[in-house]
Amino acid sequence: MKKILLGKFLVMLLLLSNVAWAQERVVSGKVTSTEDGTALPGVNVVIKGTGTGTATDINGNYKLSVPEGATLAYSFLGFLSNEVAVGTKSTIDVQLETDITQLSEIVVTGYGSAEKRTISGAISSVKGSAIENLPVQSFDRALQGRAAGVQVLSNNGIPGGGVTIRIRGTGSISAGNAPLYIVDGVQVNSRNDATATQANPLSFLNPNDIASMEVLKDAASAAIYGAQAANGVVIITTKKGKSGKPALNFSYYTGSSQPLKLLKVTSSQDWFNVRKEARLNAGETEINAVANTLNDMGRRPSDFATRTVQQLYDVAAGLPTYDWQKEVFKNGKVSNYELSFSGGDDKNKYYISGSYNDQTSILAPVDFKRGTVKVDLTNTLSPKLKLATSVNLSSFNQNVPFAVSGSFLGSPAFSSSAVLPHNPIYNEDGSFNTAIAGVLGQNVVQVNAFNTGYSKSNQVVGSMTFTYDIMKGLYFKSLFGLDYRSVAGEQYRDPRTPDGVGVNGRSSQQNFTNSNFITTQTLNYSKSIDNTHNFSALAGVEYRTETFQSFVASKTGFPTFQYRYINAGAVVETVDGNWSGFARVSGFAQLTYDFKKKYTATFTARRDGSSRFGTENRYGLFKSVSAAWIAKEEDFLKNVNFLTDLKLRISYGETGNDDIGDFAARALYTGGTNVNYNGTPGIRPSGLANPKFSWETNQTVNAGLDVALFDSRVELTVDAYRRTSKDLLLFRPTPWVSGYDSYADNVGEVINQGIEFELRTVNLDWNGFTWRTDFNYSFNRNYVNKLFDDLQELPGNPTIRVGYPISTFFAQQYAGVNPATGRPAWYDINNNITYLPTAADRRTFGSRQARSYGGLTNTFSYKGISVEAFFNYEYGRTVIDAQYNFLRENGTRLTLNALQETADARWTTPGQITQIPRPYTGGTELRGSGVTLGSATYLKSDFIRLKQVTVSYNLPTTLISRLRLVKARVYAQGVNLWTYADYPGYDPEFVDFDVASATGNNGVGLLPQSRNYTVGVQLGF
Amino acid sequence: MKMKSNYTNWKNLFLATLLIITTNSCNDLLDVQPKAQVDANGVLSTPDAIQAAINSVYARLRNQANYGRDLLALSDAMSDIGSAASSNSGRLLPENRNQSLSSFTTTTWQNSYFAINEININLQAIADLKFTPAPSTATINGWIGQLKFLRALYYHDLMRVYAYDPGNIISTQDRGGVPLTITPITTSTDASAAKLPRASITEVYTQIYADLNDAIAKLPASSGGPFTATQGAANALLSRVALYNRDYTTVANAATAAIASPVASLLSGAAYVSGWRANRHPESLFEVKFQDANENIGVNTSLQTSYTTLLSAAVLGTAPASIANAGFGDFVPTAAFRTNLGITGPVASATTIGQVCTGIDVRTQLYAVGPGRGSGPKIECIKFLGKNAIANLDNVPVIRESEMFLNRAEAYATPGSPVFDEAKASTDLNAIRVARGLASVALTGAALQAEIQNQRLLEFAFEGHRWFDLKRRGVDVIKSPENILNSDFRRLSNIPQREVDGNPNLKQNFGY
Repeated sequence: MKKILLGKFLVMLLLLSNVAWAQERVVSGKVTSTEDGTALPGVNVVIKGTGTGTATDINGNYKLSVPEGATLAYSFLGFLSNEVAVGTKSTIDVQLETDITQLSEIVVTGYGSAEKRTISGAISSVKGSAIENLPVQSFDRALQGRAAGVQVLSNNGIPGGGVTIRIRGTGSISAGNAPLYIVDGVQVNSRNDATATQANPLSFLNPNDIASMEVLKDAASAAIYGAQAANGVVIITTKKGKSGKPALNFSYYTGSSQPLKLLKVTSSQDWFNVRKEARLNAGETEINAVANTLNDMGRRPSDFATRTVQQLYDVAAGLPTYDWQKEVFKNGKVSNYELSFSGGDDKNKYYISGSYNDQTSILAPVDFKRGTVKVDLTNTLSPKLKLATSVNLSSFNQNVPFAVSGSFLGSPAFSSSAVLPHNPIYNEDGSFNTAIAGVLGQNVVQVNAFNTGYSKSNQVVGSMTFTYDIMKGLYFKSLFGLDYRSVAGEQYRDPRTPDGVGVNGRSSQQNFTNSNFITTQTLNYSKSIDNTHNFSALAGVEYRTETFQSFVASKTGFPTFQYRYINAGAVVETVDGNWSGFARVSGFAQLTYDFKKKYTATFTARRDGSSRFGTENRYGLFKSVSAAWIAKEEDFLKNVNFLTDLKLRISYGETGNDDIGDFAARALYTGGTNVNYNGTPGIRPSGLANPKFSWETNQTVNAGLDVALFDSRVELTVDAYRRTSKDLLLFRPTPWVSGYDSYADNVGEVINQGIEFELRTVNLDWNGFTWRTDFNYSFNRNYVNKLFDDLQELPGNPTIRVGYPISTFFAQQYAGVNPATGRPAWYDINNNITYLPTAADRRTFGSRQARSYGGLTNTFSYKGISVEAFFNYEYGRTVIDAQYNFLRENGTRLTLNALQETADARWTTPGQITQIPRPYTGGTELRGSGVTLGSATYLKSDFIRLKQVTVSYNLPTTLISRLRLVKARVYAQGVNLWTYADYPGYDPEFVDFDVASATGNNGVGLLPQSRNYTVGVQLGF
Repeated sequence: MKMKSNYTNWKNLFLATLLIITTNSCNDLLDVQPKAQVDANGVLSTPDAIQAAINSVYARLRNQANYGRDLLALSDAMSDIGSAASSNSGRLLPENRNQSLSSFTTTTWQNSYFAINEININLQAIADLKFTPAPSTATINGWIGQLKFLRALYYHDLMRVYAYDPGNIISTQDRGGVPLTITPITTSTDASAAKLPRASITEVYTQIYADLNDAIAKLPASSGGPFTATQGAANALLSRVALYNRDYTTVANAATAAIASPVASLLSGAAYVSGWRANRHPESLFEVKFQDANENIGVNTSLQTSYTTLLSAAVLGTAPASIANAGFGDFVPTAAFRTNLGITGPVASATTIGQVCTGIDVRTQLYAVGPGRGSGPKIECIKFLGKNAIANLDNVPVIRESEMFLNRAEAYATPGSPVFDEAKASTDLNAIRVARGLASVALTGAALQAEIQNQRLLEFAFEGHRWFDLKRRGVDVIKSPENILNSDFRRLSNIPQREVDGNPNLKQNFGY
């Protein structure tokens, strides 16, 4: 929005050049923006009740003669007006607040920008200010709950870790479902390459460098990106320099993070009792059961054979209980420092910023340290030629946990709740206790302290863009961009810990580089005939290539634990590498027409070729058409005063998806580790060729409505859509007896249809006190419409079923516990009770996909004080939590700890109605089925979370000008403060969106998210 | 005017670019070739490529679901020789309890059929090979012989796992053999269409016989082995296959031929025990090679970790307290087995960790006290102890010389056998007993047969024979916590659900 300020300033100057000067005293001052403290040139300053006034100069200063008792009114397009009584003051500095409710916003669209009012597609826009200073490492995480139709879930709590985003549901089964991310025109690669941890490539950008994020949701808006836009497009626009005096901004925040939740697990005595009961139920005598249980706990006295039952019980009663989770999950810290300079004149502008983010997580040694440098320059090289340069440099280092996920014994997030609680963590002399009884057999605190590793990501995203004005209304734009990333990882298995002892230590190193080059050449033309017929046209070509290469190595046999770098190892274990790459070439065109800004229509067409497809079918054509009717402009609505604005939109568009393996269409022969034999090289087939393999196409119909009422006090946007993903990029299963697992084919169809609401209201605006509410709600229904060969189910993955959402659970229905015997039972397909259900007894349950989700923000502000509370919610997902499954077994199958809740609920007495079976050694009853089979452990992950509360205070202008500042803001913020969920695991938000997975676990051993408190300050000089 | 012409230039350039885009002439820009792989088309056109493609078929034997673990440890866990503890990693526990659906995994099926298709492709490529200079007949015969040996091995293992054995077929539950294919599949169309039914048991055995006879004819009599197929190995496998087929003449003849081969020899006494510590077992007629650390199945599911918590042979006999917890030792011999073998000591305890077992039978020395996991020290099998100098990395014997003696003994001792001769049977039986430190016995009739089976049990414990021996002979599995009768549906593993779901011609095994 700032870009157009200068232009407006000039217009204002012209209008106000004949203001009269005949008043008694002179008042001067400066007008700035509350958002970033920058000077506002061209603000209209008028003496209330008169026509006289002035406008601020380029530095935001004004000077005006006023009569006694006058009141000054400050107004400016895009900002809320303000009034100040002059009184005896001679200096009046004023801050104007951005009017976020104005419909005349400019939003970024594909390859351009447009006035929001004339847009006919479905675009959600999130301003940088809305996510400012959140203690998150990547902007995708910050999008959570901010935009309707955009579902954002954290994969785990690792700082800089992965985030799963789905725009309008999941459309693809085998191919990618992530949106396309574009940062200042560069399409960036968002794949996580790191193996030692999760390194989200989108963490490269300091979120505070973002000016706005636009989410192109419907195919009509996204179709201009054709090939890659099937899952929506997220366009990131970073902050740019603006003309005016150099502005220096400093910002700092610091805080701490705490575990959201620790699981309540059983005490040593409770565990002993349940395990003993399991042994009794399996037919052991009491004394054997007691002695064997003590043996399971490694606490059976050597002379147990001579002891009485009571003496053995006394041993159990004397066992201490240690809280391992408390030792593993501690408080973390976060600090963030930023400095930015911006300024320039009407020819050259700059924005330069640097930042440092340092976060230690709640689980040592997991952390995140990032430094960024951003340089953004705009230079007018000649009256016709402009050059925009944008360079984002970023380097972040993450110390990694023993394991990011999985039930590894050394994985602290898995083991700390599962270790038998009578095991001391430390010996009396303070050293680590390594004699850990139970299956875990290792001290996770020691393992996590001694094993080390890191992942270091270095990234450059940069572009240069030439803009050449050919003639009035016609310009040529030429962009060259680069997204280069290298991820280096290192892990060391310490020989003092179980995973390193057998091999005398192991060091593994990985190197991944990804080079992504893009060039876009576009011609833009716009013409207005009598301000009635307005045309704009866009045509362009684009070429993008990407190559990925990896090199990994590991060595074992280290002299001592002090030698941790790979050079010191004696035995080469692995040396391996890989290479992959693709290219896309595209041509596109767009035509927009509006009639008196009343009726608008947009047509786009894009032709894309991708190297990923079969030689016979590489090109795809994607078209879209959209139209809007700005009904408010009609004469019959012009005078309906309560109706500020009304717009109807409709669109149809096609987009493509090629997010599948680079060589998925090829039959290749591969060699390497698993193929070599007896020290000689081997080769084998990998994949089957499909020369006809081509684009997956998404067709979306969207209908939308924008209403603004009562001077925009109420604004509502509603969109309804139907997205049909057809000719899916599907790894079509072949019978294994053919010698192959599957081949890539265009079969199947998935439908997502839904409705989205965005409601913004100003509930109260009274004497400077305002209360605003932003609410969004999304409902999405997803189902597989067809597969191939009339199959109702995808062979090998029964969670993909025609007529049901992707990732629908298909399993045997749990019938609970037989009250008479305590045995777990299931229903067969005829609803009879069975203990041995078969494959034929499976039926459908819920899906791992949410049905509805959204966010609610309430903002209260009064004279520079602002309080914002943001809730995020989700409903309708069924999940399995593998961590819960382990703990729900109540230590019967494995010597792992149990949840107090499930241990207490176990069946103990005939007639008892419960879901948790009687404990039985080995877990499974004779001629019975595993206790976690079928629907027994399905959970609802519905949640409402108070995601963020921010209290901020803008220091008054009078005070800050005395401090020689232009802006000063202090704030305190809390994240993940409260969660409403009926969920027994660590976090209902964890997500396994791997739709190809037939089981679908909400992962085990994941680092949970944390609750964060931060305080911060922003100063503008 | 200048502006106008500029505009026209731009427009022309732009239209030209668009034209280029839309006429598919950008294929050069889209030409991205893989570097880490090679296109399948024409790849098998050199002798080196064919040799490499044959190596891949061997490499598949290393899979955990085949000889990496399951054909040994998982199969023995389902039998009656050992028990799995609930205080260890929990692996092999459901299999040891014979829970329904807890048997051979989908990977055994998948990996075996992938190997079979590679064999079929390679045989075709050998037939089609046009290379100058042409490889010698001996080379070509060597390739064909190896591939046919491997195809027989894969098919026979599939049959043992998923189908009834000839001679012990529960006809009411019989759903036939396994799908049989010897035609190469290289296109997606053919792969989709490969909805094969189960061939009859006889048909599959006929194919296995044909392959082995061809392999015996083509493989050289004296060279190579045991890591690659030899004539000796092919004869040995034929002896085993014929035993399952109750074709006793072939059992005896093939066993005799295998024993005569130079690939392996029967060891006795201490030499036999140290044979298990050697990288290459001298008794192996065919052995799967695990070459380097890359091929290590690892600390969770290797044979070593499945059987023992001892780290390496170096810790045997050392001071107990210093032994680190290495593997999981999930599956250990039962007390009944230990008694049967004649283990006289030591008693497993914290003070005897690392001590090797003792007894008259030298095979007792293949067991030792391990520190155990969770529930304390136990007697564990140490046949696999990282003998390739890396923990969890052991070559896996598939067929050993001693099997030939016991196969032949069974062929001679079985009533009604065309080669029935109890004296010869006793000679073979005693050859094994004496080699293992036991006295000769003079038995006849059922007692002789029982002793032959008992020697098989003791000789091949933890090598994956017992479950299949009981199954082919139709003997109930007597074990805790429940017996698995010959008629129990769990005697056969379930065919992967995915295969049945996607192929209406394929019948699932009874009971699943």
